[in-house]
Amino acid sequence: MTVLIATAIFILLFVVLVYVARASELAMVLNGEDKDTSKWSRFNGYMSLGFLVLFFAGIAWACKLFIPVMIPKSASLHGVQTDNLFYITLFFISVVFVLTHVALFWFTYRYNEANNKEAYFYTHNNTLEVVWTVIPAIVLTVLVVMGMRVWFGIFDVTKRDAKNMMVIEATAKQFQWSIRYTGKDGAFGERIIDKEHITPENELGVNWKDENSHDDFFAKEIYLVKNKPVLVKIGALDVLHSFYLPHFRVKMDCVPGIPTQFYFTPTMTTKEMQEHLSTQPWWQQVNPETQKPRWQTFKYELACAELCGSSHYGMQKDVIVVEQKEYDEWFKEQSSYYEAVVKPTLTSEEKPAEKVQALVSK
Amino acid sequence: MQAAAHADVHAHEAHGHGDHHHEESWLEKYVFSRDHKTIGKQFLITGMFWGIVGGLLSVLFRIQLGWPNETFPFLETFLGRWAEGGKISSDFYYALVTMHGTILVFFVLTGGLSGTFANLLIPYQLGVRDMASGFMNMLSYWFFFLASLIMFSSFFVQTGAASGGWTAYPPLNGMRDVAISKGSGLGFDLWALSMTLFVVSSLLGSLNYVATILNMRTKGMTMMKMPLTIWAFLFTAVLGILSFPALLAGVSLLEFDRLLGTSFYLNDIVINGNLLDYKGGSPILFQHLFWFLGHPEVYIIILPAMGIVSEVLSVHSRKPIFGYRAMVISIMAIVIISFLVWAHHMFVTGMNPNLGAVFVLFTLLIAVPSAIKVFNWIGTIWKGSLRLNTPMLFAIGFVSLFISGGLTGLMLGNSAIDIQLHDTYFVVAHFHIVMGVAAFFGMFAGVYHWFPRFYGRYMNETLGLIHFWGTLIGGYAIFFPMHFMTGLPRRYYTFANFETFNNFDNLVVFISVAAMVVFSLQLMFIVNFFYSIFKGRKVEGEVCNPWGGTTLEWTAPVERLHGNWPGEIPTVYRWPYDYNVNGRDFIPQTEPLKPGEVEHK
Repeated sequence: MTVLIATAIFILLFVVLVYVARASELAMVLNGEDKDTSKWSRFNGYMSLGFLVLFFAGIAWACKLFIPVMIPKSASLHGVQTDNLFYITLFFISVVFVLTHVALFWFTYRYNEANNKEAYFYTHNNTLEVVWTVIPAIVLTVLVVMGMRVWFGIFDVTKRDAKNMMVIEATAKQFQWSIRYTGKDGAFGERIIDKEHITPENELGVNWKDENSHDDFFAKEIYLVKNKPVLVKIGALDVLHSFYLPHFRVKMDCVPGIPTQFYFTPTMTTKEMQEHLSTQPWWQQVNPETQKPRWQTFKYELACAELCGSSHYGMQKDVIVVEQKEYDEWFKEQSSYYEAVVKPTLTSEEKPAEKVQALVSK
Repeated sequence: MQAAAHADVHAHEAHGHGDHHHEESWLEKYVFSRDHKTIGKQFLITGMFWGIVGGLLSVLFRIQLGWPNETFPFLETFLGRWAEGGKISSDFYYALVTMHGTILVFFVLTGGLSGTFANLLIPYQLGVRDMASGFMNMLSYWFFFLASLIMFSSFFVQTGAASGGWTAYPPLNGMRDVAISKGSGLGFDLWALSMTLFVVSSLLGSLNYVATILNMRTKGMTMMKMPLTIWAFLFTAVLGILSFPALLAGVSLLEFDRLLGTSFYLNDIVINGNLLDYKGGSPILFQHLFWFLGHPEVYIIILPAMGIVSEVLSVHSRKPIFGYRAMVISIMAIVIISFLVWAHHMFVTGMNPNLGAVFVLFTLLIAVPSAIKVFNWIGTIWKGSLRLNTPMLFAIGFVSLFISGGLTGLMLGNSAIDIQLHDTYFVVAHFHIVMGVAAFFGMFAGVYHWFPRFYGRYMNETLGLIHFWGTLIGGYAIFFPMHFMTGLPRRYYTFANFETFNNFDNLVVFISVAAMVVFSLQLMFIVNFFYSIFKGRKVEGEVCNPWGGTTLEWTAPVERLHGNWPGEIPTVYRWPYDYNVNGRDFIPQTEPLKPGEVEHK
């Protein structure tokens, strides 16, 4: 019923509008405003000025409201650089934005036919054209050069601290992440992509005969160490996903059949970020769901950023950055997947792969 | 070539002169018409239909995004099992965003915009009686219509419309398996078929436009005397001819994968622990093929709007377009560079980072010709005598939107910054402002400006002004705040699963309300359009020239005439922007130069 009433009101509104329009059109002809449109132009000139003011005021207001709510400062080394690049670009484009908009809407007001009866016949000016070609070109060159330095800094393999870094493996499928750690030996068990190795129990196709696999474990949360570089080896089983860590400015697609990777260094532990946010007014707000100030429940998260199906929006995983000592404790508590799950299914004589195969055929 | 074309025009005249062409039957006149004006109207009205559908879809998914925790029983009344319990299902949500994108990009802003104005203006502004091939032109529309029917029908299949994004990335859309994605069933096949027909339509139209522009211009109409609209349509058509086949190839191979079991885009797929037989393909290959069309596509959308805006700004400023030559050169530059930027959509897809560098360079480079155009538009209104009516305001609004949306492209185009911004609301804000709302503004400017040419009447000015100011403010209200949602992934059904993204409760409601208001305003535009066809204020005089325009479409009579001009086709003597010169308000292109007058170079 309410829907019906709403629809009726809506339609009525349109009918009224049509009649208003019709009346105004008749009045327009009666007043001769169809021939001399300057009255309308004057009105729209003022509207244009009003819009300019409203627009800038609106942007300023939105900045005040929403900047504190945005994802906080970068918690990774390269993220600081990309953020800086963002702000430098923002500076340039803000200047251009303000100048062009002031010109556009001011001219609209200043030169409307009510204010300026006679247009000035002026077809071109080559000097001006050169000026406004060269200046943007220079600014853009600067931006490209700066951008490339940061970009290659992130992806240059030779700049990696291979000795010190930790390596984790993130594999996505509909609609969850599996995160594999190397265990003590620092090496992953080999994965073999064939029908013998890939089974519902072993979707990654890990070769359990490879001893490197024996201490590998899968983690519930991603634990990272402050200031320790991490190389994430990224993959997907079924469709495209994207490994996205918003606070670390990390994003890389997970592509079935094509391995990708991302190398970065976390610089703030979860606790440090919480402490940082605890000094900021917006984060003092109490979250109605948890009844706690928002900074207390702050956490780093992993999200999927490439449409992957009907539960794309649910591929969440917690990321926890800690000091080395705390990491070591957590690391000790993790139990090897092979020891805990695979081995108990094997008898001593049987070769592991055969056993798993046998399990599947059951 | 030129001579042959003229001979053809004259031959056409010889048999058509006097009694003016054959009588058209009702069917020929209104349905299977080969007349460019009628075909233009057909594209426009089909485009408007799609505009309403596409807009309505966005209202639906904005309901979900604005109020994710509430239920709306009326939704179930209308949508049945897609909104059980009054809540839009996530499958349907993804179908909505997919179809919203597809419809607005292809059916409204490509078919509706290019199809309408290229058809109306190319023959009119070049002094031609009709397109090079009226029959091909008709086919172009009917292929578009067929594509439309099929796309529309895909809403009604059991598993729902395509739901894997308008970009149709495999493997999500690459396997005909509804267990992976509901929309990956029949819905996607219909999508692919419809897109194939759409490409055919686009090619038939584009070839015709190019042929007409290059070969059939009236006497005296040299290339540098063409209005900027025609330059825009010419390059839009060239872009379409060169890039749409890549989409056709890409989608065909995708269907091979889906239906015939090939592995162009698939490799090592594991579903529920079972390794599938696909081997050796690459999902990234599809992205290259798709964006090889997909990026030029955004220029296919925006160039006609730019052409329209250039024309409208000049006419209503009573002042020549500033830097005509620079405008033409910058269009050419945009067209060439637009083929070298496609992979900026793919910086973080695992493509080689070195390759990314090339695309950053070209992507930022394309800002230079875009900047030139903006400065020239502002230069055009400077010291003009601006007639601030609805078409003019929409043209000015276009410039504002193009600046606001274009500038953020400098952030997204820089690969290092794009790591964070890719596939977030920042991108949504960027492209909706720069090629969504802006292109719509170009289209509205065109409709209000050339409505008298279509129907011999004006559109209602009061409704037009409400439409303009409402849409400008509303459009910014929808999309500008999205810049602050930097980092929030797009295509999320709800943000409730993440602590990080769940901070914008009031803002999403605000955006949803703004979207509904703006949608209602577009309905008002539609009311205005149809009302004005029948009841609008009539254009006075024999010749339809309501705005004091110099170009040839304003030298033809008010009534629709098959063949456009009752007598000889006009001859052109001067450039199209002689406004306010030699003490005259305007001098039509058909007026010979006075003795001693120097032709504009």
